[in-house]
Amino acid sequence: MNVTLASYIRENLNPILESWKQFMEEEEEGKFFQIMSDDMIDSTAHELGELMIFSLTENNQEFARKVEEFSVKMARHGWSISFVMKALTNFTEAIYHHMGQTGFLNDNNSGNYIRLINNWLTPLNHSIVEAYSKTWERTVQLQKMALQELSASLIPVFDKISVMPLVGTIDTERAKLIMENLLQGVVKHRSEVVLLDITGVPVVDTMVAHHIIQAADAVRLVGAKCMLVGIRPEIAQTIVALGINLNDFTTTSTLQRGMEQALAITNRQIVEVEEQ
Amino acid sequence: MSIESSVDIITEWDIVAARQLGRNEAKEVGFGTVDQARITTAISELARNIYLYAGKGKITIERIADGAMKGIVIIAADQGPGIPDLRKVMEDGYTTSGGLGAGMPGVKRLMDDFKVDTEVGVGTTITATKWLR
Amino acid sequence: MRTRIPILKLRDTLIVSIQWELDDQMALSFQEDLLNKLHSTAARGVVIDLTSIDFIDSFIAKVLGDVISMSGLMGAKVVITGIQPAVAITLIELGIRLEDVSTALDLENGLEKLERELED
Repeated sequence: MNVTLASYIRENLNPILESWKQFMEEEEEGKFFQIMSDDMIDSTAHELGELMIFSLTENNQEFARKVEEFSVKMARHGWSISFVMKALTNFTEAIYHHMGQTGFLNDNNSGNYIRLINNWLTPLNHSIVEAYSKTWERTVQLQKMALQELSASLIPVFDKISVMPLVGTIDTERAKLIMENLLQGVVKHRSEVVLLDITGVPVVDTMVAHHIIQAADAVRLVGAKCMLVGIRPEIAQTIVALGINLNDFTTTSTLQRGMEQALAITNRQIVEVEEQ
Repeated sequence: MSIESSVDIITEWDIVAARQLGRNEAKEVGFGTVDQARITTAISELARNIYLYAGKGKITIERIADGAMKGIVIIAADQGPGIPDLRKVMEDGYTTSGGLGAGMPGVKRLMDDFKVDTEVGVGTTITATKWLR
Repeated sequence: MRTRIPILKLRDTLIVSIQWELDDQMALSFQEDLLNKLHSTAARGVVIDLTSIDFIDSFIAKVLGDVISMSGLMGAKVVITGIQPAVAITLIELGIRLEDVSTALDLENGLEKLERELED
């Protein structure tokens, strides 16, 4: 029965895919397809159809590989999971629809075929969705790593003075990474003063403040001084409202002011050169 | 899958032996210098607690793997007096030994997972895990 | 393995470079030796360099903190130098802040800092 079903679908793949496309276009006025070219819709639809036939005839291992390939492709195209789910449901619909029209299904065999098709499509849908979500998780993981890599590098500005600009939300994991980069950078560049610039940090709550205080404490232990710069008015307000004590810190509103103080600490200053 | 090795804590010297074992294991698993220091320090604190409060006990270091994750588990076990008020011990700054009182909550912060099983008069087992990221 | 930590004297400053992992006994005998040396030489400053130390637990931190307070009582200033990033992070996470401790990046900076502080 598997083989009959497979060959039936293979022979009628084109009309089935036609009606599938029609179903998809009816979904939310075809907005799914507007973003893709016709060629791409055709080739992806065919691939999906072949994948489904494949699952009827080939062994599991080979099938698992194909499903993964396909789901990676879908994720790359940026298809959402709800779109993939709809596509799968509509594909089942299209098969039933076509079978009914051609009379392949009749009163005698319909029970068996419906069971067969259900047994075939349900795990298939599951494995596609699973493979898809795995791919998605991997993408998220990679993005997270990329974010960590680009965040928090220590920039030596002058002899003995470095700056670390912080951008984005700080969670515990990032805070640990920031602290490591900060300390290793301070020791490597022999910085006596390091300016932690929080201009790009959207929210400073008790936890973020706690991490910053810890980082500054650790900087003091390795033998340097940590200054907090880039404190915007709203950040100053939240810090005081939350009762966070930053009194042990040198803090300034802008990086520029901080830099002036850092130079003063290291017994230097910027002077204008008079024109000759 | 796990490989384990252990050190009996009877004298002060055994504290040194335990942390050296821990540092080597951490290095072999592939931990960076900061995590090596975290693991070594945690072992030192746990071993010293055994030495101070229970008199003797055992530190076991186990390498573990869970799927793609690798890590190290420190198990500090003794048949000492047990901890009567666990919640107090887990408070920052609490000490009965005149040390800095950084012990237990400090160790918890150094590691990823931290579990205490204790019964008064029977003994204490502390299990602390660090995962390789 | 009963090695003692060598304590060097340079003009009115004592210089200590700790090269090995400290066990409890060694830490305590170091404390005693340093105080005796302070007494016999009347040095005004001490620089303790920890560049080679890759780990400090609460016990050693306490001994260090005590040494600093005791030296203070005897009229000497202490600067700790060369604390490694990994050591600093572990100390902070343990909750040991060593609040009143004067620090510097390395021995050279430490000596300069000591000189400045003694001038004040």
